[in-house]
Amino acid sequence: MALRRAVLDHVRVPVQTLALTGSKQRWSVLGSLRFMSSHDDHLTKEEVIDRVLSVVKCFPKVDPSQVTPDVHFQKDLGLDSLDNVEIVMALEEEFKLEIPDKEAVRIDACNLAIEYIYNHPMAS
Amino acid sequence: MGASRGPRLSGLQKQVLSLYRGFLRAARCKSAEDRRQIESIVSAEFRQNSNQVDRKNFVYIEYLLRRGKKQLEQLQSPNTESLSQTKQS
Repeated sequence: MALRRAVLDHVRVPVQTLALTGSKQRWSVLGSLRFMSSHDDHLTKEEVIDRVLSVVKCFPKVDPSQVTPDVHFQKDLGLDSLDNVEIVMALEEEFKLEIPDKEAVRIDACNLAIEYIYNHPMAS
Repeated sequence: MGASRGPRLSGLQKQVLSLYRGFLRAARCKSAEDRRQIESIVSAEFRQNSNQVDRKNFVYIEYLLRRGKKQLEQLQSPNTESLSQTKQS
């Protein structure tokens, strides 16, 4: 009963279902620019490095000047394991990937993130 | 792939991080405004517990995990719009 109460205290179900407003489509004109390119649309290593670093630099608790491709999220940037989860989730969104839990826990440094994303066939 | 230099995580820690990930994933399915709100509530709750709960208090951490999983299930329902914060007495 106490558990049920605790759950109910935290959840609000709206009486009316409101139309979702925030679900904006990500598809841009890029798709049409890639006409007839089937082989060269994989990301280059440089591009992956640049984008990974910029995601990490944009993380609120990170000092951008400390971010290098070899930096370890927790040891070098002073983040905790919850921040680490947030960074990996931000990388998922940036590269439109879904990283399974088993892989996500291993990604604790920029170079591991870069390797993983570079080798991922669906990264874009 | 270089060897990981991070601290090894216990099973319980992995479950907590996995739950956190689950909440952040569920929040992505909500509207932009609700998502921000959910993320800030969830992040504050996890962070508060990580500071205040004794890391050896396994029974309590397991209780929090069970409670969190229930809340996540509710949040994943398309009818659930957002979370609200209430103080537990």
